[in-house]
Amino acid sequence: MSEHMEALVMIRDQGRRLLEQAATPERQRALLDQPGAFDRDLWDQVVELGWPGAGLAEAQGGLGLGWSAVAELHQLLGARAASLPLLQTCLAVDLLVQADADQARHSEALAAGAAIACVSLFGPGEPGLPERPLATLTDGLLSGSSTAVAFAAVADIALVYAWDSGAGSPVWVVLETSATGVARSTPNVIDNARAMAVLTFENAHCSVLSIKDPVAAARRLAAAAAVITAFEQIGGMETCLHDACDYARERRVFAQPIGAFQAIKHGLADIYADLEVARGCAIDALAKLENASPQLPAFAAAARIGATAAYEHAARENIQFHGGIGVTWESTEHFYFRRSRSLALEWGSLPYWRELLVDNAAMLTEGY
Amino acid sequence: MNPQELNDWLATARNWLQEQAPDYSGKARQGLTMDEDLALGRRWQALKSDAGYACITLPRQYDGGGGTEMQKILFEAEEKTWDLPNTYFGISLGMPVPMLLRYGSEAVKDELLPKAIRGEHIWCQLFSEPAAGSDLAALTLKATRDGDGWRLNGQKLWTSWAQYSDWGIIVTRSDPTVPKHAGLTYFYLDMKSEGVEVRTIRKLAGESEINEVFFNNVYVPDSQRMGEVGGGFKVAIETLMVERYAVSDEACGGISAERFIDIAARARIGSRPALEDGEVRRLLADTLVERQGLRSIHRRAMEAIAAGHEPGPEGAIRKLLIAKRRLLLGAAAMDLMGPDALLYDSSAAQSNDPVNAWIEAPPIRIAGGTDEILRNTIAEKVLRLPQDHRPDKGVPFNQL
Ligand SMILES: Cc1cc2nc3c(=O)[nH]c(=O)nc-3n(C[C@H](O)[C@H](O)[C@H](O)COP(=O)(O)OP(=O)(O)OC[C@H]3O[C@@H](n4cnc5c(N)ncnc54)[C@H](O)[C@@H]3O)c2cc1C
Repeated sequence: MSEHMEALVMIRDQGRRLLEQAATPERQRALLDQPGAFDRDLWDQVVELGWPGAGLAEAQGGLGLGWSAVAELHQLLGARAASLPLLQTCLAVDLLVQADADQARHSEALAAGAAIACVSLFGPGEPGLPERPLATLTDGLLSGSSTAVAFAAVADIALVYAWDSGAGSPVWVVLETSATGVARSTPNVIDNARAMAVLTFENAHCSVLSIKDPVAAARRLAAAAAVITAFEQIGGMETCLHDACDYARERRVFAQPIGAFQAIKHGLADIYADLEVARGCAIDALAKLENASPQLPAFAAAARIGATAAYEHAARENIQFHGGIGVTWESTEHFYFRRSRSLALEWGSLPYWRELLVDNAAMLTEGY
Repeated sequence: MNPQELNDWLATARNWLQEQAPDYSGKARQGLTMDEDLALGRRWQALKSDAGYACITLPRQYDGGGGTEMQKILFEAEEKTWDLPNTYFGISLGMPVPMLLRYGSEAVKDELLPKAIRGEHIWCQLFSEPAAGSDLAALTLKATRDGDGWRLNGQKLWTSWAQYSDWGIIVTRSDPTVPKHAGLTYFYLDMKSEGVEVRTIRKLAGESEINEVFFNNVYVPDSQRMGEVGGGFKVAIETLMVERYAVSDEACGGISAERFIDIAARARIGSRPALEDGEVRRLLADTLVERQGLRSIHRRAMEAIAAGHEPGPEGAIRKLLIAKRRLLLGAAAMDLMGPDALLYDSSAAQSNDPVNAWIEAPPIRIAGGTDEILRNTIAEKVLRLPQDHRPDKGVPFNQL
């Protein structure tokens, strides 16, 4: 085993044990009951284990394990419906290193887990990337607002895709959430465990990231988010399928286990088929992300669509196959039902990704 | 074979196909009757055998290729890119022939295997009956002792290529007094035996390979028994497992996603190209995602086989998804073509024709395990869910 592999296996195994102990249903229910909730204890513990820097390059203060490490950790998170701003850390550092050197202090704090980032990219009233973002940069000051953004409730820094009114084009800015002119509100959302908040900016001080093509950077960031989130979704649907199968073997009605009824059996077989198709798409997209392949857009879109549709399918049928017990607050099934819908909306919803996939269909077959 | 050797081998095979396949595929087959096409297929099979590309995993001694599972899969995938007359030999070489290799005597193998591998003989698989398809063990074709052999009486149904077959493998009921799985016995037999009558059944569309086969006191020597008396079900299951990985093209013989895009780009809905329509795009996106996922699954299965692992029952996903996809995509393409798609050229059984993709899809969802049986397989073998309710369990067959 290479040194990297060993480090990855260690991080993953420690992480799995930690999540089994710490990400309990009781904890999750408490988080869900409180808008803007965040499991700070859990975050502190994974920071101890070195999660934030796992995927980052050594030059950025990370372990250099790459996107595949981030993907594995997200699969673990997804399986327990745990929410941590790990992807946001990676995306923020990825963006910051493309920009000027004086952002290094942000990167270092993020890699060490000393700071938390959130990313505001999508706008209201549309499923995809906005042509004209809502927050507006005028004379170096940011005004306007974000939509509900995951981890904005606890983020120290925010990366915001904004509209540069001077240049008449999109721009990326970074700001500290404690800066004057930044306010945040935490509305009740479908999945309160996501530490969501709406950020409001009123002539807030921010730094513009000197990125050559901010629109291309936004697309790349969305693609990376889609691929990593696909693994989180796969972790979630594995739990749904596993729970539903367990229950189907155990629950008896009409003198037999419900798993002997084909409406249930075949429903579970269909979830399995969807899951494996989603996994196939995600594995291939991850390879394109790791190699910075020009084919990434189409592969990321396939991963996004496959995982989103399959997770929602698994989450909704898992409740259905549990009968009445599945719709109670006490059951764990609603964690996944909420999470599947929240993740479906957080990084652009399916109509956007379908367009991207169909427009770039030929990319899937290049070199195949 | 290491990856480099495998690559070199495949490159040689590709060149060989480039040189030889044009005379046996595509244009060379146009306008041929089924008999003529079969004759061409037999010549192709012999040519492959000489070059070591027929039955790649079977020993050279019997005119097979003496190669590995991986070589076989790679070669067949390459062959699929040509439109070759291979269909007649699919079952013959896929299941009966490997079973003969396991159960036949040396003398019989020396005599029969080369003929089958070279395409001189065709073998069929006589399993299903009118009242026994998915429920194979419910079959009733009777085998009764007669001196050194057996007499067969009854009927088989859906037997592919029986009209051209020289030999067949057959499962019979030798003892109706025990529970259904326990009373079966398995044989191979000469299809030209006295008392065998084959009637071809017309299919809903296209050329037909399916037949009913009647057995009127047909004699089979006991030396042609495969497995124990009463052990036929085990051998039948072994038969269904022997084809470790069935190669099928990713469009399942239907139209490719690219062909659908092409049709949608040319068709119009109102004033817009159909390719801009949301419903069309959604179907296309779902098709692309499914294909992409299956490509990844296939690639990883290949890696597992190359590393010496058995492919698992999860292989059932592929047929389940692509057979239905073929039907849906074919019908959607026809919708876009409008009334032109009413025209059906049944001789144009070439791939990439939407009408053919649609009208010939239903048999694929039935043959080789129906969609429902495949879901049962996934549920029971992969997800370890309980079996269906089986009221016939443990009950003697003649008391059901
Ligand atoms: C083109 C073609 C070629 C074939 N070639 C051969 C061949 O060469 N040799 C051979 O032996 N056979 C062959 N078959 C037969 C094939 O194996 C059977 O048709 C198939 O197994 C289904 O059996 P059946 O037709 O009796 O349908 P049935 O088993 O009667 O099924 C009827 C319906 O009931 C459903 N059903 C059955 N059991 C269950 C269950 N437990 N749970 C839920 N639903 C169920 C089926 O899915 C189907 O929808 C061929 C069939 C076709 C269409």
